[in-house]
Amino acid sequence: MIDVNQLTHHFTLGKKGNQTKLSVLENISFHVSAGEIVTIVGRSGSGKSTLLNLISGFIRPTQGEIIIEDQKVSNFDESEFAHFRLNHMGFIFQNFQLIPSMTAFQNIELPLILKGMGETARKETALAMLKKVGLEGFGEHYPSELSGGQQQRVSIARALVLEPPLILADEPTGSLDSETEEDLLQFIQQLNKELGITFLIITHDDEVARIGHRTISLADGKIVESGVFS
Amino acid sequence: MKLKDQFRFILQNMKKNKIRVFMTVLATAMGCAFLIVLASVAFGLHDSVLKDTMESREINEIEIAGYEDDNGTYRSINDEDIARFEEMENVRTVTRAKVVGQEITASLGDDYEGTISASSTYFPAELEAGARLAEGRLPESSNEVVIGHHFIPLLTPSNENTEDLWDEQGFVKEELRYNEAIIGETITLELKKIEDGEESTGQFEVTVTGVMEQPSREWMWDQKVYISEDLLGEMEAFTGTPRADLYDPSDEENEGLIADGYNSVIVVAANLESVQGISDQLKDQNYLTYSIVNEMKQVNMLFTIAKAGLIFIGTIAILIASIGIYNTMTMAVTERAPDIGIMKAIGASPKVIKRIFLLESSYIGLIGAAIGIVAAYIISILVNIGLPLILEAVFEEELPAGLMFSYIPFSLVVIAIVICLTVTILSGFRPAKRATEIDVLKAMRREV
Repeated sequence: MIDVNQLTHHFTLGKKGNQTKLSVLENISFHVSAGEIVTIVGRSGSGKSTLLNLISGFIRPTQGEIIIEDQKVSNFDESEFAHFRLNHMGFIFQNFQLIPSMTAFQNIELPLILKGMGETARKETALAMLKKVGLEGFGEHYPSELSGGQQQRVSIARALVLEPPLILADEPTGSLDSETEEDLLQFIQQLNKELGITFLIITHDDEVARIGHRTISLADGKIVESGVFS
Repeated sequence: MKLKDQFRFILQNMKKNKIRVFMTVLATAMGCAFLIVLASVAFGLHDSVLKDTMESREINEIEIAGYEDDNGTYRSINDEDIARFEEMENVRTVTRAKVVGQEITASLGDDYEGTISASSTYFPAELEAGARLAEGRLPESSNEVVIGHHFIPLLTPSNENTEDLWDEQGFVKEELRYNEAIIGETITLELKKIEDGEESTGQFEVTVTGVMEQPSREWMWDQKVYISEDLLGEMEAFTGTPRADLYDPSDEENEGLIADGYNSVIVVAANLESVQGISDQLKDQNYLTYSIVNEMKQVNMLFTIAKAGLIFIGTIAILIASIGIYNTMTMAVTERAPDIGIMKAIGASPKVIKRIFLLESSYIGLIGAAIGIVAAYIISILVNIGLPLILEAVFEEELPAGLMFSYIPFSLVVIAIVICLTVTILSGFRPAKRATEIDVLKAMRREV
C-alpha cells in the first residue's frame, strides 16, 4: 500500500543570504501493507507530522521516494496529487477541519461534488454516510452546533464518503474527551475490519498507538523502533 | 466538479457577504450603463443622419460635373455622354439641364416682379427621377413653362416699400403675395445681351402650365422657371451666346468662354446598392462625379471614430469598476483561505479553485452588465423623450422630426457585455491565481 524509501526532508529557515537548513527527517524507509493500522508515535519535533504531510502531498520531500498503491506520488505535481488524494486518500485532522459555513451534510457532500457525482446519487451517499457515523438527523447542523465528537464523526464521514483505500489521521483524538476518544478508536477499528481500510495514524497518545497493528517510533527524524506497541 | 455545482458554490459564497457583492455589482452596472449611454449618443445621431439621408431623393443620385481627359482637359457633358449614361446597367434615368447664364427679371403683369433663374429641363427624366407637379401640367410648346414651388412667394409687388416686404422665413409676406391662380397666366422674362459693347434687353412671354412640388428638404428654395429647350434656343439666338450667357460674343477675348453642353447632369441609380458601382464606372471613364454615398462614407467613418472613442471612454468607467471587483475577489480569497485549504486537502485541484473564483468575478460582471443594460435602456428612453422637450423650451426652436439623441443597437449591447466580462474576468484573474497558490497547511492553521 505505502512504500517510503530513503525519505529525507529539511526546511530552509531565514532570509536569502542568511539561510540555514533544519533537518526534520533523515533516510526514513518503511512499508505499510493494505488493511493495516499503522500508528506513528514520537515526541514533539520528532518529524511525525512532517512525515504525514509528505505522504499527503502537502509538502514535497527533499530526497527519497513515496509510493502509494504502486504510484510514485513523490513525483506528482500539485494537480496530479490533488486528483490522487481525492480518489485514494481520506483525511482525519486533529481540529476536524470542517468548513464552518457548510452544514454537516454539505461537508460530507463536498468530496462527492469535487468528484463530479450527480445530485441524487450524492444525496443518497452522503445521507448513508451520516447514518453510518451515527449522525442521522444532524445533517442540517453547522459544525458550530455539534460537539467535538460529532464534528470528528462528520470529518470521518467526509474522509470515508468516497470509500478510499487509505485514511491518514493526524492526532485524531487530540481534541476529544476520553469517552469520545474511546468511541472513535472503536469506530476506526470497526472500519478497518469491515471495510479493510488502511489507516496511518500520527499520535502521541498511547491509547491511540495501541490500536495499531504496528507502531513506528520516530525520534529526531529517524525511525528508532518498529513493531507491535508495548 | 460540475459547472452547476461550481455555480451553486459561488452563489453560496456570495450570499455570505451580500452588501459587498451588491456594491461591486452596482459599480459594474454603473460603468456598463455609462459606456452604453455614452456610445448610444453617437449611435443615435449617426442613425438620425443616415435615416435623414436615406429618405431623400439625392441618395440615389450621382452628379456629373463634366469630363476630364487624361491630359486634364475639361469639357461639359453633351448628348452623347447622356446617351452613354442611359445605356449603363442599373441607371433609372438621367436628368439634365442647361441653366440660363444670367439672372432673369420675371414680371407677372405690371404688379409683380422678381429676379429668378431659368433652366431648360428634360421633363420625362425629371418625372422618372421623382419630381412631381403640385398643380397643372407639363409644357407642350416652346412658350410654356413650369415654375418652381417658391416662385410665387418670392415674387415682389412692384409698388410696395421693400423694407416691409419679407417675413421671418425670407419670403414675401403672405398678405402681399400674388394670391390668384397662376396656371394659365403669362409671365414676361426679361434677358440682357451685350452686342458690340452695348447692353440691351429682350422680352420673352411665356405661359405657366404647372407648379413644381415642394423640394424634399425644408431649407431648399425652388424659384426657378423650367423652360423648354426650344425656348432656350430662342434665348441663345437673342444673346448670341451659349446658354444665353451675358457677355459680348463679338469680342474675340470671349471666344469659347462658355462651352456648349449641360451644366447640371444627374444620373439616377435604380437602387441605393448600385450607386457606388455606377459612380466607380463613371470615374473610371474620366467623368467628374459626386454622390451622397461618397460623402456618407466619410460621415460613417467619422461616426465610427466617434463611437470607438466614446466606447473607449466608457471602458475606462468599467476599468474603474474592475478595481472594486479586484478588491472584492481579493477579500473573498483572504476570507475563504481556510476553506480553500480544506478543499485542496481533500482533493480540489488548483484548476477547480481558479475556475470557482473566475466564475464568481464573471458572475458579478454579468449581473452588473445585465443591470447596466436595463438602466441604459431606461436612460436612453428618458433622454429621447426629455432632452428634446428641454432643448425646445430653452432655445424655443423645434428640433428636426425623428432626431434621436440616444440609440442602443444590439451590437452595442454585445460590445458592452464583452468589454464588461473581459474586464471583470481579468480583474478576477489575479485573486483566482492567488487562491490556487494558497498553502494547504498554512490555510488549515489559519495562518493565511
